[in-house]
Amino acid sequence: MDIVFFGLLAVGIVTELVTKGGDAALASLIAGTQNAVQNGVTMAGGMLFWMGLMGVLEQTPLMARLSHSLQKPMRFLFPDAGGAAEAIALNLSCNMLGLGNAATPYGIEAMRIMEAENPEKGVATDSMCVLLALNASCLELFPATLVGLRQSFGSARPAAVVLPVLLSSACSTAVTVLLCRLCIRK
Amino acid sequence: MSVVVPVGVLLLLGYALLKRVRVFSAFTDGAAKAFPLLGRVIPCLAAMLAAITVLRDSGALDALIRLLSPVCGALGVDARLLPLILLRPLSGSAAIAVLSDLFTQYGPDSEIGLTASVLLGASETLLYTLALYFGAVGVRKTRFTVPLALLATLTSVVMGLLFSKLFFG
Repeated sequence: MDIVFFGLLAVGIVTELVTKGGDAALASLIAGTQNAVQNGVTMAGGMLFWMGLMGVLEQTPLMARLSHSLQKPMRFLFPDAGGAAEAIALNLSCNMLGLGNAATPYGIEAMRIMEAENPEKGVATDSMCVLLALNASCLELFPATLVGLRQSFGSARPAAVVLPVLLSSACSTAVTVLLCRLCIRK
Repeated sequence: MSVVVPVGVLLLLGYALLKRVRVFSAFTDGAAKAFPLLGRVIPCLAAMLAAITVLRDSGALDALIRLLSPVCGALGVDARLLPLILLRPLSGSAAIAVLSDLFTQYGPDSEIGLTASVLLGASETLLYTLALYFGAVGVRKTRFTVPLALLATLTSVVMGLLFSKLFFG
C-alpha cells in the first residue's frame, strides 16, 4: 500500500508540475482532501442507517440460526475444524450478511483455536486455508454498506446491485469450494 | 425490486420486536459503529483522493486510461474501473474512496457506477484479511491460501463484470 500510494502521488505531482505548475499541483492535492471530508459526510448518512439496522439483525436469533444451519455443510470443507467450528460458522454468517466488521473478531478467534489445536505450529492447516479462501470469495446475501453508500450519493436504484452482487459472489464461492475440496489432504 | 428492501427492513424490525429485541437501542448501538468505521475511512479517503485528484488534474490518469483502453477494450473492461479493481484487494477503505470518486463523477446509477458497485460488493479486501488473520496467530507457511484466495478474487471480478453487463449493459 505504501508503494502504491507513493507511486500514485509521485506520478501525479510530477506530471502536474510539468503540465500546469506547482500552484495547480498543490491546489489539486488540497482539493482531494477537501473532497474526502465532503464524501465522508455524504456517506455517513447511509452508513448510519444500515449499520443501525445490522445492529438490530445481530440481536435477533436469525444470526444464530444461520450459523447453526451452516455447521453441517461446513464439515465437508472443514474436516479438521475441531473446536473452531462455531467461530468459523459465525464468521461466515457475518460475512454473508455484509457485516465485515462483526466477522473479523470471530475469524481471528477461529484462527486462534485452530492454531492451538495445530500439530505443526506456524504451518497453516487445511481449515485455515479454506477459511481465508472463503473470506476472499465472500458470498454476499445483502451488501448493506454498499447499498447505504449508493443511497448517500443520491442513487435512484440503490438496491439494483444486490442481485448481481449475490450472483457473482455465489459463482466465486462455488469455484472456491470446489478448489478447496481438491486441495484438502484428507 | 424497489419494494423488496423497504419491506424487508420492516419485516426485520417487526421480527426483532416479536423476539423481544430492544429494537431502539440495538439500532443506535449498531449505528454508533459507523463512527469508528468513518474514522478509519475518512483519513484513507483523504490520502487516496489527494492522490487521485492530482493524477486526474495533471492529465496523467486520462493518459494512462487512454493507453490501457485498447487492452481493456479487448477484454471488455472499462479502463476507468481499473483503479478500483487493482485497489480492492489491497485496502477496503481505498476502494471505497475510489468508488465514491466514481459516484461523484459519473453518478451511482450510470453504467460505470453500477458496475463499480458490483465489483466492490462482490470481492473482499484479500491481502488485509490474510495479513490480519495469519498475523494474529503467527502462521508463516500459508500453503495453498494465497493462490486460492487470488483465484477467488479474480473469479469475483470476472463474474461481477459479466453480471453487470447482463443487468445494466
